[in-house]
Amino acid sequence: MPLHQHLPKGLLSGMLLLFSFFVYSQTRTITGRITDDKGNPLPGTTITVRGSSTTVSADSAGQFHINASAGAHLVISSIGFAEQDIAIGQRTSFSVTLQTDTRSLNDVVVVGYGTMRKKDVTGAVATVSARDFSPGIVNNPLQQIQGKVAGLVITQPGGDPNGNPIIRLRGQTSLSGGQTPLIVVDGIPLDDPTQLSNIPATDIESYDVLKDVSATAIYGSRGANGVIIINTKKGRTGRTLVEYNGYVGMDHIEKGFGLLTADQWRDVVKTVPGITPSTIAGLDKGANTDWLKAITRTAYTHSHNVAVSGGTGDFHYRASVNYMNQQGIVINNNKEQMSLRFNGEEKALHGKLDIQFGLFSSEVHRKYVDYNIFDYVNTTPPTYPVYNADGSYFGYYDYDQQNPVAQQMLEQNTGRERLSQYFARVDYSLLPNLKIGTQGSYSALNFQKDFFQPSLPGVGNVNGATQSNAETDSKKGDVHINWLGNYGKHSITATAVYEYNDFTNSNFSASGQDFLVEDLQDNYLGGGNPALNVINSYRQEYKIISFLGRATYNYNSKYYATVSFRRDGSSKFGVDNRWGNFPSASIAWRIKNEDFLKDVSWLDDLKINAGYGVVGNQDAIGPYNTLLTLGGVGRYYNPSNTTYQYPQSYAPNQNANPNLKWEQRVGTNIGVNFALFDNRLYGSANVFNDKTKNLLFNYTVPVPPFFYNSILANVGTLTNKGVELQLNGDIVRGRDFSWTAGAQITFIHTRITSLSGTYDSTHIATDDVPVGQAEGRGYASNYITYLKVGYSPYVFYLPEFAGLSSTIDPGSNSNQLYYDANGKKTADITQAKSRYVDPTPKFTYGFSSTLNYKDWGLNFFLRGVYGQKLFNDFSNVVSNFSRLPGNNITKEGLTNGIRGSQTASDYWLQNASYLRLDNITLSYTFRHLKGLESLRVYTTGSNLFVLTPYKGMDPEIRNGDSNQAYIDTDVYGDAFYPRSRTVVFGVNVSFK
Amino acid sequence: MKLATMKYITPFLLIGSLFMGACTKLDQRVSSVIPNQDFWQTPEQIAAGIAPAYAQLSVLPDGNFQNLQETTSDEQVVPARGSDWLADGQHIQLWTHTWTSQTAQVVGAWTDLYSGIGKINFILSIVNSLKPAPDGLNKINAELKTLRALYYYWTMDTYGNIPLVTDFNTNPNTLTNTSRADVCKFIESELKTSLPLLTEVVDPTTYGRVTKWTAFCILAKLYLNYQVYTGTPRWADAIAMCDSVIGSGKYSLEADYYKNFYQDNESSTENIFVIPFDHVNIAGNNHEAEDLHYQNNINFQLSSGAWNGFCSNAEFYSHFDTTSTYTVKGTEIYRTYLDSRSGQYIIGQQYTPVFTYPPNLNVLSYSSNPALKIKDAQTGLDLSFYPNITEISNPADSFRLAGARSIKYFPEPGTQVSMSADVPVFRLADILLMRAEASLRNGTASGIDLGYVNMIRARAYGGDVSHNWSMGQLTLPNLLDERARELSQENWRRDDCIRFGTFGNARTPNKTVDADTHWQIFPIPKVQHDANPNLKQNPGYPAF
Repeated sequence: MPLHQHLPKGLLSGMLLLFSFFVYSQTRTITGRITDDKGNPLPGTTITVRGSSTTVSADSAGQFHINASAGAHLVISSIGFAEQDIAIGQRTSFSVTLQTDTRSLNDVVVVGYGTMRKKDVTGAVATVSARDFSPGIVNNPLQQIQGKVAGLVITQPGGDPNGNPIIRLRGQTSLSGGQTPLIVVDGIPLDDPTQLSNIPATDIESYDVLKDVSATAIYGSRGANGVIIINTKKGRTGRTLVEYNGYVGMDHIEKGFGLLTADQWRDVVKTVPGITPSTIAGLDKGANTDWLKAITRTAYTHSHNVAVSGGTGDFHYRASVNYMNQQGIVINNNKEQMSLRFNGEEKALHGKLDIQFGLFSSEVHRKYVDYNIFDYVNTTPPTYPVYNADGSYFGYYDYDQQNPVAQQMLEQNTGRERLSQYFARVDYSLLPNLKIGTQGSYSALNFQKDFFQPSLPGVGNVNGATQSNAETDSKKGDVHINWLGNYGKHSITATAVYEYNDFTNSNFSASGQDFLVEDLQDNYLGGGNPALNVINSYRQEYKIISFLGRATYNYNSKYYATVSFRRDGSSKFGVDNRWGNFPSASIAWRIKNEDFLKDVSWLDDLKINAGYGVVGNQDAIGPYNTLLTLGGVGRYYNPSNTTYQYPQSYAPNQNANPNLKWEQRVGTNIGVNFALFDNRLYGSANVFNDKTKNLLFNYTVPVPPFFYNSILANVGTLTNKGVELQLNGDIVRGRDFSWTAGAQITFIHTRITSLSGTYDSTHIATDDVPVGQAEGRGYASNYITYLKVGYSPYVFYLPEFAGLSSTIDPGSNSNQLYYDANGKKTADITQAKSRYVDPTPKFTYGFSSTLNYKDWGLNFFLRGVYGQKLFNDFSNVVSNFSRLPGNNITKEGLTNGIRGSQTASDYWLQNASYLRLDNITLSYTFRHLKGLESLRVYTTGSNLFVLTPYKGMDPEIRNGDSNQAYIDTDVYGDAFYPRSRTVVFGVNVSFK
Repeated sequence: MKLATMKYITPFLLIGSLFMGACTKLDQRVSSVIPNQDFWQTPEQIAAGIAPAYAQLSVLPDGNFQNLQETTSDEQVVPARGSDWLADGQHIQLWTHTWTSQTAQVVGAWTDLYSGIGKINFILSIVNSLKPAPDGLNKINAELKTLRALYYYWTMDTYGNIPLVTDFNTNPNTLTNTSRADVCKFIESELKTSLPLLTEVVDPTTYGRVTKWTAFCILAKLYLNYQVYTGTPRWADAIAMCDSVIGSGKYSLEADYYKNFYQDNESSTENIFVIPFDHVNIAGNNHEAEDLHYQNNINFQLSSGAWNGFCSNAEFYSHFDTTSTYTVKGTEIYRTYLDSRSGQYIIGQQYTPVFTYPPNLNVLSYSSNPALKIKDAQTGLDLSFYPNITEISNPADSFRLAGARSIKYFPEPGTQVSMSADVPVFRLADILLMRAEASLRNGTASGIDLGYVNMIRARAYGGDVSHNWSMGQLTLPNLLDERARELSQENWRRDDCIRFGTFGNARTPNKTVDADTHWQIFPIPKVQHDANPNLKQNPGYPAF
């Protein structure tokens, strides 16, 4: 029975009936006004009676009323300001001035199933709030914090507006996919991290990144890859705020492929050995085409966000509408997004009942790029025209060669995503120190894809169309209890939660071929050749049920301890392995509060913390991997059946493993947080050591007796060790001029420590696993990266290049030489000695700086990677003279001297360290315009330069989400969408 | 916690635990796949559960297994045309006999074959545990074991000393190699045990399925090659098995040779056991794409360009009698081959008019109209195939046109891959030639054998008996060449070359004489040894 269907209503009415008569108040009314240091009112400031759940917010004039007893303390906090603690005594009226606090130590951090003050956190948690977000064209919200959090590596592979970033927190944690951190939006985990691209960035207030295992253990079986908590903006009681944020942006291609122009091609093909004038004449169609230019454009983007927020008394809300239309720099490539979000919170029954709810609905329309066109750009001679004289597309066809403009323009290749998320939460303060509540949510993503490929000019293919529709739905519910107690200097909190998650994924697709009327695209699938129609559907369901608890202890803000425990059950597993336990413990010591440091005036804060925890991962496991199931395995011929001659055959669709269990990550973290010189210099350092056990992987098994050559099993181990440093400084703090800077650097070392072991009394011995291949014409299963014990994942194993010979070897038809095992040069690559090369970066880093002078602001952000190596597969294939004349080559192919077919040697392994100017922004704020609260105008340049020795198009490629990590390929779906440079003009308006 | 607190919280814990008790059940409905125990309920489901034993066959006749059987022989070569078909040298390794335990086809064919064996082991374990037992269980077992014996025959023929597994639940850690001779004995015994239970019916109900006649064919192949496999000849047994098939009266030669390889070849009276393909439903026959050139889509009406890969050299092409009669129509000259089988390879200029079936009749061989010439789009050269391949790898433009191209499985208009032609495994013409060969080797060749061979030759020459052999022409070398003409692209050439002693010969291009005979079986793939270290490598290959 899905709990959430009954709980909110049932439990709520139960609460009301049973407990509404509890009224306790031997108190009086306190009033006050809250301002900043310039005397401006601070609406929305939170005023809490310490040690109780009584909380109110200041109104638009900064005024508040609260009931409290004489002996109580008021805790006054507002984001961005230092928290104040005021003893009430006999006074009933207060005027409070809050000081800005750039460190926001008192800010609240969402830690999963609850919040903590930042200074009380015992694990490694990083927070990035709105003022530190990167501006520019933000296609996926995480671009706002790319490079800003030590340990969090976000890679945007290319410039495709429909691409998804690759997100890795503290290294590669697993070998079988499912390595993206859990993304939690307002307390609700996203069903799929790619749903982030449906959420407008402008709705986001802050990110809390739970990094170490003791912090993520509260998410148990889903915490192994770390957790990124996203908090959307909420309204505050007070005057209604109306805001508009908008920008227009312009994208231009960053760098080309460096291909020959038509004139260069004409010059050089004459020198191709054995070429005849008739061959050249056949290929020279007289055009001068820059094919990359032909498929790209200057792209325009505009984005608009209108938000209304406010509230009166016990109710506050925020509503926002977003629209964004982003063109890709490739023709006929687009993302259009519309969304609506509403967050509300109602307090009732004298502040004891708290009801929150949220609605989010978005619609995204996408026009995709057919990635084959990048391949065609590199193969087609520049002497071919795009169009015929009559304006029709010039058609041609050869292996891997056809008109890319025609393909991209004539194909219908679109998607429509509708994401709806509903959420409601009710909390009731049963006692001053005891809250109970329940939460329910529903998320539904509908994804419709439309594809139609007409008969393309020169290709003569049979036209075909496919329409598919996929649903990714989830229902989630919980019941929770929070308790807090203060006993003198001892402060204790406890949380217990029961949670229920139900997931359903399904899809339906139909396709047809050979349509008479191409204009109908995929809207009349029945109109093709009925023998070629294909239909399919699919559905899978699974559940996760959890019990979890957390307790914290704080002695005098000096000694802290947190313990948590989660027990997760998942229907994906066999009956014996369904439940797993995920404990954690962490401690912290605020040394600054010890007597011996109290008087050290230059030291504002010093805290050390240490944590240990166990988390799990089940993403690699499908819902039915443990079961012996039969699936359709193709049709068979049965001519004796007069009505239906090709029935479906059924066979086991996998090597079932009934013993599958959770992949476990066990980790320790030691950290230090500090603030010096009147909080001018502050930062943190963390050292972690994580080990993933029972590593899920498709291990090779012998055939026979198996008939599939791999089985998903828990066998190996891998380790992640790292150091993260984050440092921020307020270099100048003047009234008119201020300058702050921040930097982070991350060192991560990942090693596979075992791929062998026993599963179900069967020994599995996997020494090394080939994973990534050199790809392109002439290659087949040419593996160059491996999973190998003792190395980081995707270590290269490549023949050593020994230069070029002055003659062409008759055996290899090539002048490329390699070192053999004896150190002698050989032209035979099969005799070459290979060596292992670790391509992983030594460290990644980011540096930001913000300058403000009066109403002017200038900030920039640099980020980089050091020590990364990439196999330049693109250049390996395309910078090859032997492709001439039928395929184009790069200019590098004219000078590198290589003759003969390309080979995959370490010559092509290139240093791909880089430093990128991620963004730079200049802004001006008008403060005293009539009718406006404020008006800020800004211009941002993104990706204005990249410093790198890498010879390929861009050193930031798709690493980590496919087997082709660290391989910069040019073929098929693995090709890279060119990156762009962007200029944005934007405005932020707040209306009075 | 204070007592007062407990007082308030207790009712909640009670209410909460009620919900929790109800909601800790993790039972899950299974969708889109069916738990094994819920399948096998009806005769149709049992048939569909047995079908994968056959479905696995579709990867063999034009995949890794085909490459191992044909490219290692004198019949098929896949030269590297620049980077095209270089494929890391895998095809060159096969042609020049320099493959290793990691060559892609050596690795792939193993799992292709053993997946069939594994699936049959699985199906046998299930159907024999069904309660109630399905109707005709004995016959089902006999049919599956016969098919398994065929997979084992191919696997033994390819890899020699192989693990012998008949129980799906075998512990993988206990598996070791069985000697080639013992695998032969196992195959023989399985087939002989199954024979009495196998069907003798030849009609649509048994099309693409093993029958008693299929079992005789497997035994005939086994006995004909017994000397190669074990050192002991069994010619008389081979003759007896061939006679059992021939004498059944179930099969007869088709008048049109190409009928056996055409799209509608399910009506062939000559094919004994085939692997069915269908453009829509059963993919895997891609001969047209592999053999033809990118621009051959023009004259063969393919849905897009082919791949310009597999071909044959001049020496192999020279086995064909290309004597033709010519007719002139306007600016064009058409040729008709005397030996119809010679039309299965195309050479020379390709022209834009549609190439019609059958490929031996009225082939456009010359036109004085230059507009009809197809050109290689990428190099601008005239698209004209030549069989004289002198190098195994050459980036030159003209090398794209090297090699004679097979169109024995006649290209199917509107397709590019997934042809509908079923690929024969056993065919009466093969059995007739095998019978003659076994008699020759046995020293018992008679007019019967000569008659069988001449049936084939007369059919090839359109009924013209003037090309028939005399008894003196019935020799082993002539038979090997006749087999080349008759059976190319039917995946028996490697076997034939080994049996006739030509397998290790030098060949143009670039193949030198084999130093020893260890190349006659392939190495155990390294990945299989990695997964099961008990496996021992075959003689002559580097030990693991």
